[in-house]
Amino acid sequence: MSKTHTREPIQGDTVEQIENDTSTSILEHVGMNKAGFMALIVLAILPLIPPFNQEYLVRWMIVGLFMAAQTVAFNFTNGYISIVNFGFAAFVGLGAYTSGILSTKLGISPWLTIFMGAIPPALVGFLTGILTLRLRGIYAAIMAWFVGLALMGLATKMIWLTEGPMGLNCPQLLDSTSNVPYFYVILVMFLVVYIVLNKIVQSHAGLAFIAIGQNMDAARTSGINPTFYRVLNFTVSCTFAGWLGGFYAHYYGILMPDLLHTTKTVEVLVIGYLGGRFTLWGGAVVAIPFVFVMELVRSSTSDMPGVNLIFYGLFLIVIMIYYPGGLAHFYENFKASTHASFLGRLFNRKAKQEEINT
Amino acid sequence: MANEHGITSFLPRLGEYCKSTSGMTILFAIIVATAAAVHSGGYIILNTVVTGGMWALVGMGLALIFGVMNISSFVHGEFFMIGSLVAYYVYSPFVDIILDNPNTFFAAVMPLVAMFAALIMGGIAGVLTEHLAFRPMRRRSKKDWVMNSFVLTLGLSILLINCHQVFFGAEFRGIVKYWNYPSIAMMGTYVSFDRLMVFFIAMFMILAFWLLMSRTRIGRAIRAVSQSEPGAMMVGVDINGIQTLTLALSCGMAALAGAALLFMYPAYPTVGMGPLYNSWFIVIIAGMGNVTGAAVGGFMVALLQVLTTTYIGEGWDYTVPVVFLMILMIFKPSGLFGTAVRGVLDE
Repeated sequence: MSKTHTREPIQGDTVEQIENDTSTSILEHVGMNKAGFMALIVLAILPLIPPFNQEYLVRWMIVGLFMAAQTVAFNFTNGYISIVNFGFAAFVGLGAYTSGILSTKLGISPWLTIFMGAIPPALVGFLTGILTLRLRGIYAAIMAWFVGLALMGLATKMIWLTEGPMGLNCPQLLDSTSNVPYFYVILVMFLVVYIVLNKIVQSHAGLAFIAIGQNMDAARTSGINPTFYRVLNFTVSCTFAGWLGGFYAHYYGILMPDLLHTTKTVEVLVIGYLGGRFTLWGGAVVAIPFVFVMELVRSSTSDMPGVNLIFYGLFLIVIMIYYPGGLAHFYENFKASTHASFLGRLFNRKAKQEEINT
Repeated sequence: MANEHGITSFLPRLGEYCKSTSGMTILFAIIVATAAAVHSGGYIILNTVVTGGMWALVGMGLALIFGVMNISSFVHGEFFMIGSLVAYYVYSPFVDIILDNPNTFFAAVMPLVAMFAALIMGGIAGVLTEHLAFRPMRRRSKKDWVMNSFVLTLGLSILLINCHQVFFGAEFRGIVKYWNYPSIAMMGTYVSFDRLMVFFIAMFMILAFWLLMSRTRIGRAIRAVSQSEPGAMMVGVDINGIQTLTLALSCGMAALAGAALLFMYPAYPTVGMGPLYNSWFIVIIAGMGNVTGAAVGGFMVALLQVLTTTYIGEGWDYTVPVVFLMILMIFKPSGLFGTAVRGVLDE
């Protein structure tokens, strides 16, 4: 949907180079370029145009946007401080359960509980962070996984609160039976997540994240406290995860402990790596097409459950071995290689300008 | 003289060891186990010892991979699954014959053949993993190695689980018992012959592994690579060969554990999840990459699980370890037995 100039941090980038990328246009302030903005507009009117206004397609788009927003929050940690938050789905689920429980047991409006639901994941993320992020990255990944499974165990066992595997019924966010209003809700939520995280990445804290992700020793030498910034990053990511979980609770209307399972994290992770983990836009661009393709594969191989997940595994293996930068890296390489060619001139205004200048 | 020297220095050294963190933890674990056994019966110690041996095997493999190859494997549980699947397909065609004639030589040896087949197949699977996944990746780039290899193993794990699901289906493939011999009365409870054998096989494997690591040239090379890869390369160790061997060894041990525990954990797609969880728990409490610590950690984790199911109830076995780990992370993040492999803050 939206492409930013925030490119993959390459070793050797100086602070000036990264800061120079921040140009003055409003679009670029929120981390988009023109193509991204156009794609966003198209996406916004898509549910109103005939072939796409069928309920099941709108539903897929909602799932796609939900995945896109999750991926942005996930890649914020994964790409910038090089920590795989392996319990991401559990933080989403914790937010969903908090919001669902508050709205059913206390009768608070879902519009408020969505925001309250972001607080427990933030706290749990903060605690996990301060315990593990001063150690090697793998500790945080494994601990987040353990915490995620523990939360799932709690959701299964605390039946008096969560109804356990029977499922917790939550009130809907809107009265409408149509999916279209929900589409706009999640679109706005996606934009908020994307723009806020993009602003953080563009700020000084973002520079610190990139520095830590690239070279911890060099970052420490230049006076950055790695633990502080890592915990900050992790907590922010978990907070947004919980907030998005609130949407899940009040869109589907039912919560099961499965929501917290590692397989849900894996879905987000695959999209994140496919899109390119060093950017926020990569995963967001890939999410909707990926969800569509996966839904098609799943429905055409419904007699053989598991085939679609084989693709998940294969995608991950191939990406990790041959193209760890994902789509975003491919796009950067493509832009660089077509700099002077016809295609490049067509798509790349910078190249055109340089040509005029010479 | 030498003997006297051995005894006189052994006791004070034991005393010193008991004052260290690891010694205190082991003592504490033994006291807790004894107290629980007095309170609820001897089955606590028996269950701990039987499953603990196998968890130790799986955990040692994971620690070895981490130490030698610097890979945080997430696919280790799937080798457990491969082992249980292989053992099932080797053993089950003869299950009727064996259970009808328990006293023949064939019936006594066939379970061991199944376990050996699982060990070999696990080793082959490990070699294939190294050649098809890790080596291409290592050749292409070593940047962000820890996290990238972790995600690679995650992809392998998803692939293997779902290949099992697609090609073999989601049924439970298990057996009731390997050896159709009567149970043996011990410590107030009855122990099936299978469990006893599982314990002895685990002990035998741990001993063999320890001898391999400490007494042979290959073991010395493996330890050298885990201490310093460039250093080992400089003295002429074949790094690629050692890494392949390490993976084959670790995966073989995981597969053997899967085969040996087939009567408790039938083969199904996600059977590896529990062993993987346990082995990571072991590796973190023992100290990342500490193989000896992992052997002891296996028993401690098994004890914790038995105590959890006895005193708190079923279904809490994912929650209790986290509390333990949180406390450990506060006071001793490098693990109970410490890690000599790589610094805690290094990537």
